[in-house]
Amino acid sequence: MQTKMFLSALALLTCLHAPALLGAESCEAEASWKASDAERHFVVLAGRTNVFYERSGPTYVMLIRGAGDNVDLGAFGIYADANGHPAFGAVPASEYETFLSEPAARAQAKSSAVMLRLEVSGPQYERVLRVLRTWERRVAERALLYPDFALDNILLVKQTTEELNRCRQALVPYELDWGLDDSISEHNIALRIPFEYFKELKVRNAARHVSDAAMPAQLRMATLTAQRNPQASK
Amino acid sequence: MKRRELFVGTTGNTCVQGTRTCGTADLIPNVALRTHDDVPVRFYDNLVKGKQVIINMMYANCEGLCPAVTSRLVEVHRALAHRMGRDLFMYSITLKPNEDSPAGLRAFADMHGALLPGWTFLTGDAFDIETLRFALFRHNHIKFDLDPNFHAGQLRIINDATNHWVDVTPLASKATVLQHISWANPPKSFEQRMQDNRDLQDEIDREVAKYGYRKVI
Repeated sequence: MQTKMFLSALALLTCLHAPALLGAESCEAEASWKASDAERHFVVLAGRTNVFYERSGPTYVMLIRGAGDNVDLGAFGIYADANGHPAFGAVPASEYETFLSEPAARAQAKSSAVMLRLEVSGPQYERVLRVLRTWERRVAERALLYPDFALDNILLVKQTTEELNRCRQALVPYELDWGLDDSISEHNIALRIPFEYFKELKVRNAARHVSDAAMPAQLRMATLTAQRNPQASK
Repeated sequence: MKRRELFVGTTGNTCVQGTRTCGTADLIPNVALRTHDDVPVRFYDNLVKGKQVIINMMYANCEGLCPAVTSRLVEVHRALAHRMGRDLFMYSITLKPNEDSPAGLRAFADMHGALLPGWTFLTGDAFDIETLRFALFRHNHIKFDLDPNFHAGQLRIINDATNHWVDVTPLASKATVLQHISWANPPKSFEQRMQDNRDLQDEIDREVAKYGYRKVI
């Protein structure tokens, strides 16, 4: 009886066409934004497998912004802590630097690493940064939305890709919503879902991926890692 | 070239699996909110601690579900008027804190005849409302949880003193909603339970005498 009522409520709710609750952000800034060589923005969706005990691995969103002589870098999501356990938060540089360049062809062929690097506009970059900052605040204030942060990470990657597409289709989407057509959520454990999601997005958006060769010289891995650890370049 | 890290990774802002430090530390977040009378309150400390409460989420310009839910809650309030504001409280939290000011919520409550004792409409910071929404109404299902309208169709009944949590759709009949609320009622005294048992036994005896068996179980 209660199940019946629950389902009727659900049916009624899905029929209602209430206005979207999350206010549509003005897209004027994005429409009027002019690309420039002086300032480049990239969003990287990166993930690996076979790191944690159930064969999933770090999956996170990385941001790169090069403006003149400055480079802003950072990643947020799930990574392996010093003990090899999954951790959720700001990804250490030593982890995300593995994705400053494309994974080795062998790793890609074995599907043990995935990386989709997209060049985005300034407003898109700012919106994704805002998403990651909100999650940074949630971690700092112990205000995550789920008891299992694997679900929080799914929300994080979903919000990131949705923000990219807020004003125009910047990438061909995959509907990651645990709905009937979402086979990724259906067939994978929560920790593994973002990796499979990135893999699917990589397939759908292969033409949009920015290869190492197409990256600006000052944003290439060797330069950036040398800046973090000057000894490494000696 | 200067390299700047966007996020600072320290022990304080990282969650490690299997520890209690991974967020949602408080079952009921103690976020700062404002009532429809523009009074600042802490959700847990001031509104929930030690009490039995009925919580729903709504927003003032919602034309679909919210008026129907509010109307049902007015009926529920009427049925429980003797308890409202004494040992039972009702809270309606906006899903659109950026649009619903305390004055706007007051106008909504007034329009629906919901300015009643023990019933408070609440707004606050969007971040905190989101935290509260997930803490109270999440289904651990991405599709449902990302649809705030879905949460607008739920009632959460909590008795903080006894740690009873009950969930019911306000679209169910008034009797069903009232029954669900009663499941979180404070425990009865021993004398009261014995009296209830005697009353029930009398009822059974009457039915058996009349029909030869108990008609309603």
